[in-house]
Amino acid sequence: MLMILIPTLMLIPTAWASPLKWLWPTTLTHSLIIALASFTWFKAPSETGWHSINAYMALDPLSTPLLILTCWLTPLTILASQNHMSTEPAPRQRTYITLLISLQFFLILAFSATEIIMFYIMFEATLIPTLIIITRWGNQTERLNAGTYFLFYTLAGSLPLLVALLILQNNTGSLSLLILQYSDPLNLAPFTSKLWWAGCLMAFLVKMPLYGIHLWLPKAHVEAPIAGSMILAAVLLKLGGYGMMRITTMLDPLTKELSYPFIILALWGVIMTASICLRQTDLKSLIAYSSVSHMGLVIAAILTQTPWGFTGALILMIAHGLTSSALFCLANTNYERTHSRTMILTRGLQIALPLMTTWWFTASLANLALPPLPNLMGELTIITSLFGWSWWTLLLTGAGTLITANYSLHMFLMTQRGPLPHHITNLDPTHSREHLLMALHLLPLILLMLKPSLIWGWTA
Amino acid sequence: MVNFVALAREHWVNILVPMGFVIGYYLDRKQDQKLTAFRNKSVLYSRELKPGEEVTWK
Repeated sequence: MLMILIPTLMLIPTAWASPLKWLWPTTLTHSLIIALASFTWFKAPSETGWHSINAYMALDPLSTPLLILTCWLTPLTILASQNHMSTEPAPRQRTYITLLISLQFFLILAFSATEIIMFYIMFEATLIPTLIIITRWGNQTERLNAGTYFLFYTLAGSLPLLVALLILQNNTGSLSLLILQYSDPLNLAPFTSKLWWAGCLMAFLVKMPLYGIHLWLPKAHVEAPIAGSMILAAVLLKLGGYGMMRITTMLDPLTKELSYPFIILALWGVIMTASICLRQTDLKSLIAYSSVSHMGLVIAAILTQTPWGFTGALILMIAHGLTSSALFCLANTNYERTHSRTMILTRGLQIALPLMTTWWFTASLANLALPPLPNLMGELTIITSLFGWSWWTLLLTGAGTLITANYSLHMFLMTQRGPLPHHITNLDPTHSREHLLMALHLLPLILLMLKPSLIWGWTA
Repeated sequence: MVNFVALAREHWVNILVPMGFVIGYYLDRKQDQKLTAFRNKSVLYSRELKPGEEVTWK
């Protein structure tokens, strides 16, 4: 555990002490080495399910894939930001990298914490670097508004969680995840226990986000610089899913009756946000809404409380993390060339950048869950578990997958096909850096097809 | 001849992360030893190891 955490910390002095011309290659190489070293977590032997234990942290099959995704994403964010940061002064470049590294540090601590309060603190701590990245390095003045939305939605959602956790601590005397599932249920008045249930889940439902409390997400994604969007879509949303999976194990038996409206809202959100994608003009906003749509499926799956639901949720979270991050990178390659996110202004790029079209094609197919990608595996498992909960959900999930396919096709056709608009007179050729970035996103997805049990969670 | 002083001044930062790996690995090992100090030593739970078995639990 510390074998990854301490090198992550050491990346910060590395970023400040390395000469400017070596800054990006050095941090990239070292963070990639850390990411490769984190793969050893896949092979940790254990009979209890928990491994790499120390006083405050431990790993289990649920947190391992998310931790490795976190470590994998940091070098990719560094790789993606390199070009647009190169014009900034040196201290600002170093600060930016430091923020990305501190985000990795907090996320590792959040995913591996054995104490829920520690998880909560790290959950909140990730807000700070993300907020600075969005409000300092965003491209337009609306970034300040987006930052406010991001901060206040998440904080307002998570303060009830703190109260709920303190009540739990007061009643059971421990918040350790290792033993929490064996503790007795709380003795609260019926109405209070319902409030407590909502308090426990609201923070995560806002973070996921659930349809209705999702408005911060498109704003934050659209305004954030590329690294912010990538890490937000790929890992920060998954904090919500991870927290839900951890906390629902002790919310029995309340979840059975109380989850009903939330499952319906999540599934309704799948259709609504996917429909919003169909009429979206802003490329980054489209990808952000597609994230909300996919996360709706994850929320519904977790709330069904079945092993298949949990497995499907974890598979979809990992697959979506890689896919949406890849799509944001692709949107950024367009943005760096045309300085526009409006899809109608950046059409027909297949003629100009044909190899990039291949990446767009692959990423779009992954987004619409082409067999046998892990995206499909996750969606099928989730749809099955929801079908077991109530067969009416098939109408919603079926329509959801159909609209997802539609808007992915819409996105691909709008950006890549057709004639090149007349105002695009000169485009930079694609860099090898960008192709490497896309390959590093999509390769893990393809490799996960070969050994999907790595991301099956508890049932593996 | 390669100028070692210049090389060291330019690239000494590359030692920090590998150093972190070494420290982290050492601390992890120490923690593992601490947590398994009483493995197979208590009177109540100690038992004969089966052939080919290294430890009683991992």
